[in-house]
Amino acid sequence: MAEGRRSSPPKTADRLGRMLAIVPYLVQHPGSSLDDVARLYDVAPAQLRRDLDLLFMSGLPPYGPGDLIDVEVDEDDHIWITMADHFSRPLRLSRQEALAITLRAAELLATPGLPEAPALASALEKLRDSLGPDTAGSGEAIEAAAGGRPAEHLETLRRAARRRERITIEYFAGSTGEWTTRDVEPEEVFSAMGNWYVAAWDVAADDERLFRADRVRAVTPAGVTFEPRGLGGAGRALYTPTGEEVPVRLLLRPPARWIAEYYVTVDPVELDDGSLEVTLPAAQLGWVAALLLRVGADAEVRSPPEAVEAVRDLARATLSRYR
Amino acid sequence: MTGEERMEPLERLLNLVGLLLETPTPLTFDQIRDTLDGYRADNVDSAKRMFERDKDQLREFGIPLQLVDIDAWGTEQGYIIPKDEYYLPDIAFTPEELGALLVAAQSGGEDTRAEQAARKLLYGADGGVLAGLAGGPLASGSDARSALVLDCADSAQRRRRVSFGYRTSQGQEGRRVVEAFAMVFRGGHWYLVGRDADRDDVRAFRLSRFTSDLDDVGEGSEPPEGFRAADHVRAGPWAAAAEDHAEIAFSPKVAWWAVASFAGAREVGVDEGWIVADVPMADRRLLASLVLQFGPDAVVRTPSALRDEVIRRAEALDG
Repeated sequence: MAEGRRSSPPKTADRLGRMLAIVPYLVQHPGSSLDDVARLYDVAPAQLRRDLDLLFMSGLPPYGPGDLIDVEVDEDDHIWITMADHFSRPLRLSRQEALAITLRAAELLATPGLPEAPALASALEKLRDSLGPDTAGSGEAIEAAAGGRPAEHLETLRRAARRRERITIEYFAGSTGEWTTRDVEPEEVFSAMGNWYVAAWDVAADDERLFRADRVRAVTPAGVTFEPRGLGGAGRALYTPTGEEVPVRLLLRPPARWIAEYYVTVDPVELDDGSLEVTLPAAQLGWVAALLLRVGADAEVRSPPEAVEAVRDLARATLSRYR
Repeated sequence: MTGEERMEPLERLLNLVGLLLETPTPLTFDQIRDTLDGYRADNVDSAKRMFERDKDQLREFGIPLQLVDIDAWGTEQGYIIPKDEYYLPDIAFTPEELGALLVAAQSGGEDTRAEQAARKLLYGADGGVLAGLAGGPLASGSDARSALVLDCADSAQRRRRVSFGYRTSQGQEGRRVVEAFAMVFRGGHWYLVGRDADRDDVRAFRLSRFTSDLDDVGEGSEPPEGFRAADHVRAGPWAAAAEDHAEIAFSPKVAWWAVASFAGAREVGVDEGWIVADVPMADRRLLASLVLQFGPDAVVRTPSALRDEVIRRAEALDG
């Protein structure tokens, strides 16, 4: 039942799909600008021009001059199209397409604080009503369950990414527990593990950094724009080891196995009792100690001794607050 | 136009779609060949093969190209694209709704079907759509392969019975047979919710823990009365509703972040620079874990049961 990528030459299939969607738009919007349409349908203006040239050749029988689709791109690059009534409405959504867009929408709706959420929810409802259950399925079969916390500055961060504006942020670094003020150039805003993230260039560090949007306390424009470097967004690893980390060997009993699913770990060894041994590359031992304090008896540090010590020191420092 | 000219495949396909949409009666291949230059060029056999390829391609594309009886006796069959099955029905979206759908469609990884879907919906948009995209791009990341997500969603919508390999969070691996009811996305993970046939109970299965593809093994069943999919996907302790409350002091260093990370927590006072917060407590042991994560930067004041739990667990590690 798995549907693979389509086997036909992608170029013709892509162009066909695009034309069957664009022509109806052009019929409904006479005089649209070539650049706007290219942007809306994510196609290069030159390619759009080539596709439109080809439309001239098509039409209906008997294919006389009066039967062919007439496309005119005027001197201001506005597009006028006639004799294309048979393409005045697009092809129905396939079941797979309706599913795909519903799933994407659910992923976005499950991450809190999205300003488009109400519009997205009502759009999905209209889509379901119009396409019917055979194509769009039943409403309750796909659900977004919101968790986590909204990011107060999500909108500002997205706008800065779109306008390519450098910003100054006040950021709480989870690994050190410190507030920092940094100049960053945000490129990608995406959700992962139920939180919003920003992939940005950290100007002072002269390196790429990943920021959790909900840990940004303040954003101010730095007054300059930047050239994007093509930083990775959704689907990237949330943590990329630099090679400088301390390898901490952990024993995870079943209730603590989630650590291996949640963080980057290597060299897993399954034990007979359902426990798991893994190595966690740790940039900060303090952070590992806090994690171990959290899971308590469900996990143990095997090595190195400094990590064992860090856990004990943190436990002792915590206890001192209660004495 | 002479038959010798090479015609671009796209042009031929567009003409074929137009012809079969507008024809009042189904057309045989010979009639199509007589009408469309694209199939006139070569000999009959190669033209026929070309037509077969085009037909498959259009069908793969979702175009309802059908072969039907031309007359009541069924002696001859012809091709047609029924208009009512081809055309998208009118849907009155607002510009904000279309903008939101586009943002959602473009939020994904390599699978382009959602984008194709959104583009089809744009045709009736007024000029506000481009302005509606002002919010800027977003992307969503899920940890499951998109083909598996689609298969599971499809099975849930069609109420199918499926079988798959699964490894539990506790590390036990086995084969599950599940009557699929729904999909839930929570905390960056997709879950398939359905009746586990062997356990005769509704369970949630995280897609990232599947160890195989999905096998369809027959018809499923309808979910029980009052079924709510999200109820079966365990939320983090921070999301649970709670009757009990704890009072926790946080050091100035972590206070902003700490108070924000406990749902429902609110600041109730300041004590020597430390922020005192009221935190809803659904599960004492889970809350103790989360408090301990802040080490010496968090101190439980009340209730004593939570305080004792935190002390006991810290003592166990201070060996």
